[in-house]
Amino acid sequence: MNRRDALAATALLTGGALLGPGLWLSSCGSDAGVPEGVLEAEPYRLLEAIADALLPDTEASPGAKAAGAGPFMQLLLTDCYVEADQQRAVAALAEFRRACLARHGRAFEMLEPAQREELLLWADAEARRGTGMQDFPLLRELAERSYFSSEAGMTQALRWIPVPGRWQGCVPLEPGQPAWG
Amino acid sequence: MKTESNTFDAIVIGSGISGGWAAKELCDRGFRTLVLERGRQVIHNQDYPTAHLASWELPHRGTMPRKFLDENPLISKAAGFGEDTAHFFIQDKDHPYIQEQPFDWIRGYQVGGKSLTWGRACQRWSPYEFTAPERQGYGMNWPIGYEDVAPWYAHVERFIGVCGHADGIEAMPDGEFLPPFELNCVEAHVKQRLLAHYGNRHLVHARWAHITEPKEIHTQQGRGQCQARNLCMRGCPYGGYFSSVSSTLPWAEKTGKLTIRPFSVVHSVVYDEAAGKASGVKVIDANTREELEYYARVIFVNASALNTNLILLNSRSDRFPNGLGNDSGLLGTYIAFHNYRGSVSGVMPGFEDQYYYGRNPTEPILANFRNLGRQDTDFVGGYTIFSGAWRARGPAQHPRPAGGAYKDARSKPGPWHVYMYMQGETIPKASNHVRLSPTETDPWGIPLLITSVGYDDNDERMVRDFLEQGKEMLEVAGCTDIEQRDSRQAPGLDIHEMGGVRMGKDPARSLLNEWNQLHACRNVFVTDGACMTSTGNQSPSILYMALTARAASYAAEAMKQQRL
Repeated sequence: MNRRDALAATALLTGGALLGPGLWLSSCGSDAGVPEGVLEAEPYRLLEAIADALLPDTEASPGAKAAGAGPFMQLLLTDCYVEADQQRAVAALAEFRRACLARHGRAFEMLEPAQREELLLWADAEARRGTGMQDFPLLRELAERSYFSSEAGMTQALRWIPVPGRWQGCVPLEPGQPAWG
Repeated sequence: MKTESNTFDAIVIGSGISGGWAAKELCDRGFRTLVLERGRQVIHNQDYPTAHLASWELPHRGTMPRKFLDENPLISKAAGFGEDTAHFFIQDKDHPYIQEQPFDWIRGYQVGGKSLTWGRACQRWSPYEFTAPERQGYGMNWPIGYEDVAPWYAHVERFIGVCGHADGIEAMPDGEFLPPFELNCVEAHVKQRLLAHYGNRHLVHARWAHITEPKEIHTQQGRGQCQARNLCMRGCPYGGYFSSVSSTLPWAEKTGKLTIRPFSVVHSVVYDEAAGKASGVKVIDANTREELEYYARVIFVNASALNTNLILLNSRSDRFPNGLGNDSGLLGTYIAFHNYRGSVSGVMPGFEDQYYYGRNPTEPILANFRNLGRQDTDFVGGYTIFSGAWRARGPAQHPRPAGGAYKDARSKPGPWHVYMYMQGETIPKASNHVRLSPTETDPWGIPLLITSVGYDDNDERMVRDFLEQGKEMLEVAGCTDIEQRDSRQAPGLDIHEMGGVRMGKDPARSLLNEWNQLHACRNVFVTDGACMTSTGNQSPSILYMALTARAASYAAEAMKQQRL
């Protein structure tokens, strides 16, 4: 654990203990770079980190954060989702944050990549079992929708040909060929 | 007061798919024609603001903001409506009407009308559709038959460009086709399995208004080959699909005989009691509210089915106190539509090593196999099925749904899906009607339209049959995870509203004769969806175009001979 992680973990642990579940630390981090919308700065950053762990950088294509999924998730949630779903997303992020602190003792953003992935798999399984994290699928939906509709998602993960020029109904799939965007 | 500037040979009310055709045919024959359009001007290419945008360049990447949806619960339901096409649809609050029963009245008020956003399917009716209602006892015969329309279908097909394959299927006559879009490998598999199992169920290329191989007549229009972008409803910069904006209207304009007047809300057709015929059209300028009159020898009413009903109902005179040409009292009745409620879908295992290239703007069709020539079900009428297969992004289930391996797997093609949805005939009846509100008016002082249109038991039985047959056919094709769905959508959302001014031989039972003239006012022609005597089971637009060209040719001849 590096110094920054350790400090953050302590702060978050303390904060979590003092403020109780569901409340966000206002002392940690500024709002700089956080677009306005339904999500406050900290849940916004958590959602962006969840999206990026769900869909990280790979050799094949940039991850969710690099693709700008963060600002678009905020826009989509704020402009296009009904209020009930906005509240579900906010609650899901708070529940996820508490679970992360309880299991790892520090913020999601401070975990190692492998730990992040494991926590997402745990949340996914919880939601499937119906034992918790019931609105995790909503966070996943925001992340996947935002990533795969982004320019990087459409052109580097998927393949988008603006003007195909022709239609061919039946062609062999090349090994490793991405899906059409 | 008649002046040179407000007097024409012909007035066409509406610039959509049928109005554009009336204008083209009349101008081609040398007649000065005024096209009145209630909405704004739309110029090919120049007014297609989203045509070249990638999805990520749209503010919400295609999804309409919630505020808009809350304010527009009706129009946002329309097929093809989205952030990229919203500018070609009305907004709910601007154009109120009264729904006595739920009816989703989808409108596009601009030059080009709904021809900008139409579905583009162009199958011909078979001879059965013109005669089945009377032969099988559920309606009135048309005053014309397939043989009367066939040459006009060909005339329209050649000009607009229709791609398809000559399949020799009795229920869906062949036309003059450009090469079709190929079936993909799963569609070809389904086709083969259905034919092998049933013997008489043909999944084939539908016929679509897309130019797959431009002919001289298309390049003369400035239109080129479809580029397989499947972004049609934004307006096509290549003119790859037909709209009146890309085709008939600019063609008519080149004759020098055409005048288009946008922002012209038609109040009524004016009847000259002394002359015993219509003299012109009363218009309200949408912007200035000024009342204007235009005069002509013949008037084509192509305002879209329900607005055509509205205009005629509002065209009252001493001779016609209940609406122009309404001696039978049937104006506004026998409204019908197409039943799209049923759909089925499934997953097709296998074919993992097969894919496609490009974005197909068309889909295959399964020609009607019900009540064809004889009654063989517990409902009357038939249905057509549109179908297709596509590959989702993969995989549906992933053992570790997070992380790099997951993201890369989600970026690959996944399982094949197959779908079918119905387009069913509905039975026109007097009780399904529209009428004018006696008390409420729109912002231009024109009475609001009341819609009173609903489903009946026959529709319910047809949906049940389709859902059973659709499921069985997907099983036969080898699909798994089959789902059936009855959307229970309101009539109107099909955007195939028809009738109210139906054609017929008998003036006591119909409004229009065999040339689409009002029986009682021969210089007024109605050739949009309002003229339909029955609905058939095929997409109606090309029939409107064919009937319009036929009627306009007749009107032109009659004017030349001074009969009109």
